[in-house]
Amino acid sequence: MHEMECRVLSIQSHVVRGYVGNKSASFPLQVLGFEVDSINSVQFSNHTGYSHWKGQVLTADELHVLYEGIKLNNVHHYDYVLTGYTRDTSFLEMVVDIVQELKRANPNLVYGVYPSLSPLCYVPENLHPVYKNKVVPVADIITPNQFEAELLTGKNISTEKDAVEVMDLLHKMGPDTVVITSSDLPSRLGDRFLVSLGSQRTLMPDGTKSTQRVRMEIPKVDAVFVGTGDLFAAMLLAWTHHYPNDLKTACEKTFSVMHHVIKRTISYAHELAGPGRKPSPPQLELRMVQSKADIEDPAIVMEATVLTL
Amino acid sequence: MECRVLSIQSHVVRGYVGNKSATFPLQVLGFEVDSINSVQFSNHTGYTHWKGQVLTAEELNVLYEGIKLNNVNHYDYILTGYTRDTSFLETVVDIVQELKRLNPKLVYVCDPVMGDQGSMYVPENILPVYRDQVVAVADILTPNQFEAELLTGRTISTEKDALDLLHQMGPDTVVLTSTDLTSPHGDQFLARIRIEMPKVDAVFVGTGDLFTAMLLAWSHHHPNDLKAACEKTVSVLHHVIKRTITYANEMAGPGKRPNPAQLELRMVQSKKDIEDPDIVVEATIL
Repeated sequence: MHEMECRVLSIQSHVVRGYVGNKSASFPLQVLGFEVDSINSVQFSNHTGYSHWKGQVLTADELHVLYEGIKLNNVHHYDYVLTGYTRDTSFLEMVVDIVQELKRANPNLVYGVYPSLSPLCYVPENLHPVYKNKVVPVADIITPNQFEAELLTGKNISTEKDAVEVMDLLHKMGPDTVVITSSDLPSRLGDRFLVSLGSQRTLMPDGTKSTQRVRMEIPKVDAVFVGTGDLFAAMLLAWTHHYPNDLKTACEKTFSVMHHVIKRTISYAHELAGPGRKPSPPQLELRMVQSKADIEDPAIVMEATVLTL
Repeated sequence: MECRVLSIQSHVVRGYVGNKSATFPLQVLGFEVDSINSVQFSNHTGYTHWKGQVLTAEELNVLYEGIKLNNVNHYDYILTGYTRDTSFLETVVDIVQELKRLNPKLVYVCDPVMGDQGSMYVPENILPVYRDQVVAVADILTPNQFEAELLTGRTISTEKDALDLLHQMGPDTVVLTSTDLTSPHGDQFLARIRIEMPKVDAVFVGTGDLFTAMLLAWSHHHPNDLKAACEKTVSVLHHVIKRTITYANEMAGPGKRPNPAQLELRMVQSKKDIEDPDIVVEATIL
């Protein structure tokens, strides 16, 4: 059996306990056979949704030093780069410099960005222009939620048509693959569902561009999860790798994995919390290692509709 | 399975040593792994270049405080390996002692990394910390022959003496991972085993970390059966190393010696062997 040779550079947070950032992305990618090089942008005891958190952050300079080490050994060759939640503009600018250099070393490199911009996650506003003007132009895959998509494009989404226009705007800004991970758009299946949309632009042999757009109705969950956006971005990277011209399948696999992990997590959290009690952040940590089989081979539990416009 | 490990080891961006070597296999076997990265380096120090940052004892304490403040400082296992800093190691001992007070059943698995083949590759002042503080609170210890000699203060001519002395210092389970006696000897209170392992013609980095992590896992599943635990552990190492050598030689090309980058353990590719290792060695009960 021929082994997959695919190396990802993931620059995300590390938490001692729990599943966000690199803790959320590495194990599933490794389980799927990817080599994962990980630069930890911070080391915290746990994510910031707990009552307390403590730890240390990596500066832009320290990030550069780590990258220098990799480069000096001439092993700075990656197929993918993956980034997520960042708070620091100079750190993010250093990431962009690194991505640009890695792309010069490997023009086929794919850069996946989870543009975490929600103010709820303490992201300062001065990060927005860095994302818009520097990060998105070099991104190949991007996974904003509705709020983040609106922020990056300056356009509001009230209808599916708006969402398609926003995704087209994002394509123009850079990435060929865009997935709006969640939106307020009304679902065909009622108010227990939310709508996600995806769009992938491919270059045809005759030089024209073709765009596949998909829509998914996702069951809502009655809990706040942390780390799911990071897991989503990592799994979309993995499944678009296996289905490079088939966003429909890549999305079905990715959203299905999310469904299995979240379902397992909710059951466990409620068991731990007890009847009628709201689970705490530690109890709501994703059941990642327990979901290994679902990560390796997710049973498809939702269908994406291809939009014909 | 609900089993939580606290692993305090190095992190490398690229490659498999320390936490990078221990975490994935333990997670694949269903363990929850909380990991404190004692350093973050670009790669291990066997490459031509390496760069990065180290965690101070104070910063380690801060991270532990965060876990404690959330009242989630409950572990079934602790795992430590290569450490160069005496105050860091002393802080580790404090943390272990506190965690043991909270869970008296906690098992501390300690690889007392100090050197090999007669020379130390850590500062000499680490030895007294291991000898006088760490080993006393360890439950499973995985020294090589040189480290066993440093800890006991004796040259090892018979395994029995070394193992008895090490038991007296603390751990109920001791595995001498390699000896000039050409075979490692394991010892669990009242049970002694011996395993013959084929030598490999290459220098690997991270194998000790993988060994210790897998010994943790397999002794968890075979708690009163060191024979089975060691057979599984050594077998996993065999499969990973064999796959790694093949790949490294392929990458290097005929007649050329593989470099450190090429010799990185084929960890993710060995997932199936990690999950369910074919037993390829037999331990003899002495």
